[in-house]
Amino acid sequence: MISIPLTRHELSNGLTVVLAPDSAVPIVAVNVWYKVGSRNEREGRTGFAHLFEHMMFQGSAHVPKGGHFELLEAAGGSMNGSTWFDRTNYFETLPAHELDLALWLEADRMGWLLPAVDQEKLDNQRDVVKNERRQRYENQPYGDWDERMQALLYPPDHPYHHTVIGSMADLSAASLEDVEAFFRTYYQPGNAVLTLAGDFDPADAFSRVERYFGDIPPGAPVPPVPGRTDIDAVIGGTVRDEVRAAVPLPRVYVGVRIPPYTDSDFHAADVASSVLGDGRASRLYRRLVREKRVAKDVVAYAAPLVTGRAFMILWATGFPGTDATELERAVAEELEALGDVEPAEVERAVTRSETQLVQEIEQLSSRADRLSMHQTIFGDASHLTQEIEHLRRVTAADVGAFARSSLGPDNRAVVVYLPEGKR
Amino acid sequence: MPDRSLRPPAGAVRPFQLPEVRSVRTSEGLEIRSMARGGVPLVSVALVVEAGEVRCAPGEEGIAVLTGDALQGGTLRRTGAELAEALEGYGSGIRVSTGWDASTVGFTCLADRLEAVLALLAEVVREPSFPAPEVERMRSQRLAAIRQRKMDPAGLADDELDSDVFPPTHPFHRPLGGTETSVAALGRDRVAAFAGEAYSRVGAGAVMVGDLSPDQVLDLASRHFGSWPAGAMGGGAVPETPSGGGRAVRIVHRPGAVQSELRLGEPGPPRGHPDEIPLRVANAVLGGAFTSRLNMNLREKHGFTYGVRSAFEARRDGGLFSVGTSVQTEVTAPALAEALAELERFAASGPEPDEVAKARDYLAGVFPLRMETTAQLAARLTELIIYRLPNDHHHRYRDRVRAVDVETARAAVARHVHPERMSVVIVGDADRVAGPVESLGVGPVSIEGR
Repeated sequence: MISIPLTRHELSNGLTVVLAPDSAVPIVAVNVWYKVGSRNEREGRTGFAHLFEHMMFQGSAHVPKGGHFELLEAAGGSMNGSTWFDRTNYFETLPAHELDLALWLEADRMGWLLPAVDQEKLDNQRDVVKNERRQRYENQPYGDWDERMQALLYPPDHPYHHTVIGSMADLSAASLEDVEAFFRTYYQPGNAVLTLAGDFDPADAFSRVERYFGDIPPGAPVPPVPGRTDIDAVIGGTVRDEVRAAVPLPRVYVGVRIPPYTDSDFHAADVASSVLGDGRASRLYRRLVREKRVAKDVVAYAAPLVTGRAFMILWATGFPGTDATELERAVAEELEALGDVEPAEVERAVTRSETQLVQEIEQLSSRADRLSMHQTIFGDASHLTQEIEHLRRVTAADVGAFARSSLGPDNRAVVVYLPEGKR
Repeated sequence: MPDRSLRPPAGAVRPFQLPEVRSVRTSEGLEIRSMARGGVPLVSVALVVEAGEVRCAPGEEGIAVLTGDALQGGTLRRTGAELAEALEGYGSGIRVSTGWDASTVGFTCLADRLEAVLALLAEVVREPSFPAPEVERMRSQRLAAIRQRKMDPAGLADDELDSDVFPPTHPFHRPLGGTETSVAALGRDRVAAFAGEAYSRVGAGAVMVGDLSPDQVLDLASRHFGSWPAGAMGGGAVPETPSGGGRAVRIVHRPGAVQSELRLGEPGPPRGHPDEIPLRVANAVLGGAFTSRLNMNLREKHGFTYGVRSAFEARRDGGLFSVGTSVQTEVTAPALAEALAELERFAASGPEPDEVAKARDYLAGVFPLRMETTAQLAARLTELIIYRLPNDHHHRYRDRVRAVDVETARAAVARHVHPERMSVVIVGDADRVAGPVESLGVGPVSIEGR
């Protein structure tokens, strides 16, 4: 069903290159995945991978401060980056005739970021990141839910125990020495995947890639992920965190440990999360929103993480008068009832995922990102095109088995938000 | 080895040809605009119905949004649950988006399911049954959403700005989805009556984007919508907004807030105004791009914020020019001072020639990025219907952008940017920000909620 013509190459310095030509629109999406994220942060430096990501936009040896944004916007490009648990990505989409600009910018910061790093830039971006933390976590209702949830789902020595944004104290402690060490350790071609998707000739594009990236020196082997990644498949019980806060409505978040994305059992968990909460025919919507009316909205998803165990998150938002205990019980009931999932539900969930995936790869930027993802995680970008087949192989029996093994009270992290002034 | 000290030269520009927009009409006069898009097995379809919030009667604010929400509560042939199962069984779902001017009802699906999903779309728009329990459920959800928005500082700031910029008699004064009072008063009968008036015509127009020829488009539309009367986009329902008096600052108190949401705004021009494109270019310079003056100042230079933007939001009749940002509480006053300083400098002398050139390049260059997917293209086509634009509107956009010179941009700025009479709203901790903001002396300061 999905076919993406592509070629893969590896430079002598270890950089993996994925080329996915498509001349439908004269634009090109350039995407770099570095295999480093919040999971690699050492103690006392939570949030550092994300802060470092910000520094990557402040110029490099041959690119002045502000130059990255200026040059790309003047060329008619859009750009951004993001940090997550297992990886950091950098991407831009721009007119195809400006491919060299993107390659030059990405290569310059991959190979020669440090000469441009200084204390003033670090202090400025530290302020920006602190504002981001305040805006998203501290100034919004439910803002800190994932901070609480991750602390329940994972033991303190697991790399996913802390959030990507990090703590204010650790952000304050970040130093220039940390930036230099982090760059040398993780920002090297052997720890990266470069994907191009869009309007180019593959042979020509590859020669340009070699030209800009070929003489970036290789780095030393990347150290293992710190902490203890080998944890139990289940939490061992139901762990809870109840918060009375300035929130408009009660909300219950439930987190569940699930197999990592690299495990074939992940797909059953993925389908289970769709059956539970994706769309208005899902179980949580049907039972909690439509029938019982204890919730106004429900969400469920499985996070494709690879370090030890991944997680599934569900949440349900109640009405002003909803009893949070009743809401939590209603969610738990659906988790425990999923053992009897029907083939029609599985079919529906897979069909929805299929349309969503086709839509995602329609856009060059997300196509390139997905290709980088599959290349990084599975060593094979074309693994993306088999995603639907993997989902189609999941049976109702698989989902039922997953539900019985993983959705019970022995594997449940619950964060409840109660409006202030309410019981 | 490349000379890394130089920005690499660009290659030869490859022209981006937007596919042609074709129009066909059913025998009842419904116009369907379409764009052929091959290579992807997706189709996007939308019906535009003149059922926006500007239609609502006083006291019924939110009726259009609620009716849009309730469309999928059930049809004459099936319950809401059965409808959801049918749509999702095809891997799709109907999305209803109700705004001020219109309601857009549509879907994206894999091409081999088009007939089935199109039939369901037609059923939802033409035969909604509005079961009372479903309408009540949607109303409860809307009321809860209104409560949520009041406690979301960014959403609250946007609504509070609207209420300052537009007088109480103006439709845009209140939140799009209505207030707790107005929505609580809506019930099944009013929703059904509103739909009876607004949705009795199948639509003001429709769009289809996919691997379809105009003949196929006409055939599909005729079979699914052909027997129903077409609607038309009205307009002119919105009064002129009087220009405000002097500048005033209103602080909406949020005790203990660690960030302040800052908004500045004034009435802006509607879609189709001759200054629309020059203002797009000028706005990119002021606050519509990462390298804009506001962002470079407040974020990159001062570290006050994670981001700041300005925008001319043009609706069919009237619009809003606003600047918005979220800043650390401690720097609220200096951030406001910097934002006003940038606005005053911009209003006084407008953009520089090199800034205008870069903004033109940026807007023309990123144009294809909003034209990539079938869903994006369908959205672009619905804009043509809602704002009564010609079929070549998007095709001429880049040329019109490139024709903006610095004089044109400056003249447009002088006509539409008036910092001396903008409304200023701060949603934040008044105990900590009121004093410093008052000391700025930028206008009378009132405080609410303390």
